[in-house]
Amino acid sequence: MMKTNSAYTLLGIFFLIAFFSACVKDTDFDKADDIVVSPVVELDLIYFDLPAITFFDTIASSPILSVSDTTDLPFLNDQDITDKMNRVEFFFKVTNSIQRDFQVDFQFLTDENEVAYTTQIPVAQGTVASPVITEYIENVEGAALEDLTMAGKVAVSVTIPSSNENLDGTLKLESKATYYLEF
Amino acid sequence: MRNLLQLLIVLWVTLAISQNKQVLYGMTDIPQNLLLNPGSKIPQKMHVGVPFLSQIHVNGGSSGLSAHDIFGNSNEDINTVIRNKIFELSDRDFFSATQQLEVINFGWLAKNKIYFSGGLYEELDFILYFPRDLAILAWEGNRDYLNYEFDLGEVSTAGDLLSVYHFGANKQINDKLTFGVRAKLYSSMLSYKSTNNRGTFVTTLGDEDSPNIYEHKLQNVDMSVETSGLASLQDLNGSAEIGKKIIGRAFFRGNLGLGVDIGATYDITNNITASASILDLGAIFHTKDVESYAVSSDYTLDGIELLFPPLLDGESTPPYFDDLEDEFENEVPIDTLYNSYTQFRPTKINASLAYSFGRSIDGSDDCNCKKPDGATARNQQAGIQYYSIFRPKGPQVAGTLFYTRRFTNFLAVKATYTVDSFSATNIGLGIVADIGMVNFYLAADNLLGYQNLAKAKSVSLQLGFNIKIDRE
Repeated sequence: MMKTNSAYTLLGIFFLIAFFSACVKDTDFDKADDIVVSPVVELDLIYFDLPAITFFDTIASSPILSVSDTTDLPFLNDQDITDKMNRVEFFFKVTNSIQRDFQVDFQFLTDENEVAYTTQIPVAQGTVASPVITEYIENVEGAALEDLTMAGKVAVSVTIPSSNENLDGTLKLESKATYYLEF
Repeated sequence: MRNLLQLLIVLWVTLAISQNKQVLYGMTDIPQNLLLNPGSKIPQKMHVGVPFLSQIHVNGGSSGLSAHDIFGNSNEDINTVIRNKIFELSDRDFFSATQQLEVINFGWLAKNKIYFSGGLYEELDFILYFPRDLAILAWEGNRDYLNYEFDLGEVSTAGDLLSVYHFGANKQINDKLTFGVRAKLYSSMLSYKSTNNRGTFVTTLGDEDSPNIYEHKLQNVDMSVETSGLASLQDLNGSAEIGKKIIGRAFFRGNLGLGVDIGATYDITNNITASASILDLGAIFHTKDVESYAVSSDYTLDGIELLFPPLLDGESTPPYFDDLEDEFENEVPIDTLYNSYTQFRPTKINASLAYSFGRSIDGSDDCNCKKPDGATARNQQAGIQYYSIFRPKGPQVAGTLFYTRRFTNFLAVKATYTVDSFSATNIGLGIVADIGMVNFYLAADNLLGYQNLAKAKSVSLQLGFNIKIDRE
């Protein structure tokens, strides 16, 4: 009887050894360092729709050849986001039904109002009957991206070469940005 | 993101089907078997668990994924592997973990032939369903998914840390039938749940009338997280203070709940025995330190509209971005609620059908002379077991084939083969030894997995020590 007992004890010990010698193999956890999450996110940016009368001061009866506006874009120079940004692509679509060419200027400004990055879109003239669509893509990467990500706001100015009270139509701008991120 | 990924990997590697203790079930030599079926047959007349060592149980797993799937030696780029896996998994795949530690456990046979037993154990439960659409959105972004409605309703997760005080009674009603019940008092230390969510996020190309290129839409969003015991911890400093507070709740200072276990064993013939149990039929009533967050919204984002207002010198432009943020917060408000809520425990069902054969161990070969109508205890048993647990997205079910063999009167071994949501190759082994009055047991499943834990989608382990006095 004693003999069988020790046989079973051995069996038990074997079982324990098998149990505690459990291992992890054929795996390379260092690969975790190679994990790169690289989503491509597209978001609307700014938009406006300016009627022709914006460019004429009816009270003073004089043309207004340039209008501008500014908005904060605090995510552009947010370190947490910019560290992960590889490339940004802006897409602008301008629909012009005013009989004038336009120039739309974008000045990306730092929080101290210094110019960090600029881009211009020349817009061709159209008519109310057949508006002209101008599409413009601005790709920003490398050193240019470093400049852009200094900015926390954008100043947009719209310039018309000449204007009078009889102009009609609208200048409509739509835009989106594609962010190539990498975590 | 990466940290979360690593945490999940650690969870399923170190731990393994949730709470299924198929090896322990029906092993009457182990007093903790009574926690799996309060109506089990009981061979001993008294038992006391060694405090903190009477049952240690860890169990973790993931239904569709092993660490080897991601980190296995292959030349394929790991990012391609992860991407393929995200698309392969469904929102019904899950990661889960359970851990139990028994503080005390005791039982004795009273003069009225009722076996009373009671004790206290701590339990940790966690489940996270794979939110497939959100994973795709995080991994790929929205550019290639225009018009695709990302389902936010796939978010489903719950976690609990609680202590359980229990007391049960077990009685052999007649030669064939043994019946038992156990009352449970739950003291919840921490709990959170986010299960009944719905809503979608979609990016579509704007039509003629829309002001910008895209429309980003949150549609029919109705999501919530219920927490209990978490809000008050935010004001505490340091892990020591938090630890002290949580442990205090183990002793009735948490949110309390009530539950019951019911079970029975029935000898159909001299060598066929059936048993069944329902465990944790009950609920916890969260009334203290409750904080829930809910969001309900329909919202479309178009971007920032510039108005070009005529400005005098020194006047600043409108705060467009802040206004947009305010609009978002107003349209997609996160409400904080302090309503009490009731949380049902994940109810478990066990059942088995066993055939006994081989040498008789409690009487002659022909009959059990102590109870002529009952089954004769024999040194071998084979049969089938059923297990299910109710989870947020429906029950998880497991089926087991088992073989038990008693070698001498102090050593018994049980082998199991289980098919469940994690795998179809789960082999388990349990050993129980009575050395004098000391009862020791060790049970583990997914033994094939132990050869390479990385390939195991789940592992489960129970072990413990008791002092036991057998009946004459």
